[in-house]
Amino acid sequence: MNLKKIISRDPDLTFAIVLAVLVYGLFAVTNPLFFTMNTGFAIMERFAVLGLVGLALTLCIIAGEIDLSIGSNAALTAVIVVRLTDVLGAPNAILIGVVCATLIGAIQGYLIAYLKVRAIVLTVGTLMLLRGVALFAADERTVMLTDFTVPDFIQTKVFFLFSPASIAVLVLFVLVGLFMRYTHYGREIYAIGGARKEAVASGVNLARPMVIVFALSGFCAGIGGAIIGMRSGTAQPLGLQYLLLAATVAAFIGGVSINGGKGGVFGAFIGVLTVNFLNTGLVFNVTPAYVVQIYLGILLLTVILFQTGSSMLERRKLRQLMLDDTDATRVSLIREFSPKTKTEGI
Amino acid sequence: MSTPAAGQLQSQTFLQRHGVTICLVAVALFFFLVAINTPNYLSWFNIKTIVRDAALVGIMGIGLTFVTLSGNFFLLSMKETAALSIIAFAIAMSNDFGFVLSFGFAMGIALAAGALQGCLIGLGGNPIVVTLGAAGILYGVASWWSDNLVVPIRRPNDAEWLGTGSVLGVPNITILFVFLAVFAEWVLRKTSFGRQVYLIGANRAAGRATGHENFRMAIIVCMIASACCALVAIAFAAQMSSAQANYFSSEFGSSGDFTILVIATVMVAGNSIMGGYGSTLRTSLGAVFISAVDNLMVLQGFNSGPRVLSVGIMIVGSILLFAYLRRGARTEG
Repeated sequence: MNLKKIISRDPDLTFAIVLAVLVYGLFAVTNPLFFTMNTGFAIMERFAVLGLVGLALTLCIIAGEIDLSIGSNAALTAVIVVRLTDVLGAPNAILIGVVCATLIGAIQGYLIAYLKVRAIVLTVGTLMLLRGVALFAADERTVMLTDFTVPDFIQTKVFFLFSPASIAVLVLFVLVGLFMRYTHYGREIYAIGGARKEAVASGVNLARPMVIVFALSGFCAGIGGAIIGMRSGTAQPLGLQYLLLAATVAAFIGGVSINGGKGGVFGAFIGVLTVNFLNTGLVFNVTPAYVVQIYLGILLLTVILFQTGSSMLERRKLRQLMLDDTDATRVSLIREFSPKTKTEGI
Repeated sequence: MSTPAAGQLQSQTFLQRHGVTICLVAVALFFFLVAINTPNYLSWFNIKTIVRDAALVGIMGIGLTFVTLSGNFFLLSMKETAALSIIAFAIAMSNDFGFVLSFGFAMGIALAAGALQGCLIGLGGNPIVVTLGAAGILYGVASWWSDNLVVPIRRPNDAEWLGTGSVLGVPNITILFVFLAVFAEWVLRKTSFGRQVYLIGANRAAGRATGHENFRMAIIVCMIASACCALVAIAFAAQMSSAQANYFSSEFGSSGDFTILVIATVMVAGNSIMGGYGSTLRTSLGAVFISAVDNLMVLQGFNSGPRVLSVGIMIVGSILLFAYLRRGARTEG
């Protein structure tokens, strides 16, 4: 009984958890090596790489926008951090890199709110712009660390499954989750995603949540980029393009809706884990990287098909109600359709 | 955000009225000054080079413009469609299918991919997310099919005329580009299909009310865009006499990812991303403009970093400019 209540309260999250368990179970059954502590550690290490970018994208989609420049932002931060570590030391370099990424995010958010453009319009431009800046900052080469003490430190196993890098990522997940759930800034972000017109009409200043959510996503992408750069000790200005697809898959498995206002940090956590299970499992079975892409693409299209299918059913049901035509249904129809006609997508 | 005073809704500031003119004049003046100070830039040979360089991106841009005009944003799977087509074409050519059959094979695959994506978009899927997923699948299939290796096409073959041939000194690919630019512009302006594209892009509800569903339109425009991708892929394969899945990725070319370049072309030209406003002529000119700036920077001795950066600045600049100009005229939120 209790279980049923939990499922019906959040079907998307239940679906995500079931999918994660299924994927893990499938690989655990077919390959005995998969179900070990070492593999768990490897999965958590991957989690440290993909997790924050997936979280950043999830936050943007909750706000009803999509940030295509996330991979570029992470790559730029990785270049800055790796380049400056030798000169200024790791902590200062990470600080500068993350501040840059956060500022870039905040500026994007402000421009989106001020100019009233869609985020995809602006971020497809910054996607290219930030690649250019990264190329410029790296002198068009792959930058490398000379001193590998920090990379060694952040990926040593300190606690069963965890390294300092993955612990830091998990802590950030918890903090962002608390922020989104318990502060009114977080709730504003949900509000402008789910029902922007209503939120603005009831007095939410659109610029504030927009700046906050993009700054937050820039911050997450920045830390993600810093961890990626520090872990491998190298950074490519044109690298990390694969992150966008993986992060999108993670976000959508985690239960966000393209119309915004849905999903959450815990969902993002489960989504990223699922993608990592799939990734690690396929690598275990010696699958080339490009075949992994096929699986990710199929997974994404399946989730999208489910979402559009369910929204189509809903629309058809409403149309049926309209045929019955009573005053009560007319009111509910107006409420249903008015926010959605304008925002058919991001 | 800031509510305009009564009666101010339609009036525009000086900058909003003349902003485009001022910016265009400033850019043109600066460009002209640098151009006449660059040796060999304004020669006939170099101008031909500029247009030929613009042709590949331009043709894909023309295809994408249809998608954008119809209000379906853009496809993130442009370069992946091209990658799959180039592999299909090269494999067919290396198995001695001949040019016509190989062309049909590659084109057919691209059209099928476009139709499937269009179908998902037409059903109400978000174009960005759908094509992002499709991009992963298409690129994965292309790499898997070719084992991620270079597929050589034996020379001499009957496809070379498209890649390297020329008529009266003008490369065939340039002629194809100009022809397509004129033809697409004619379709958009003079046919009822073209007007439907504008209608659905400008006002989807009005389109639906008059019986023009986005479902059919999305499939058609995605097929047009994919066909343009296949055309570019075939021309490129004919030029290189080989094919690999990553020919359109940033690790191959120095100037960056083809998809983003194509989107950049459409946006720099000032087409409205929300649909309904713009033209393929703008896109073609945008492609030539980006190519002209790129060529200028190469002659001035810049590396790939500043060149990618300048294209990025051009896109973001034009987005900000056009968004600022339309602010107040039409809220898009």
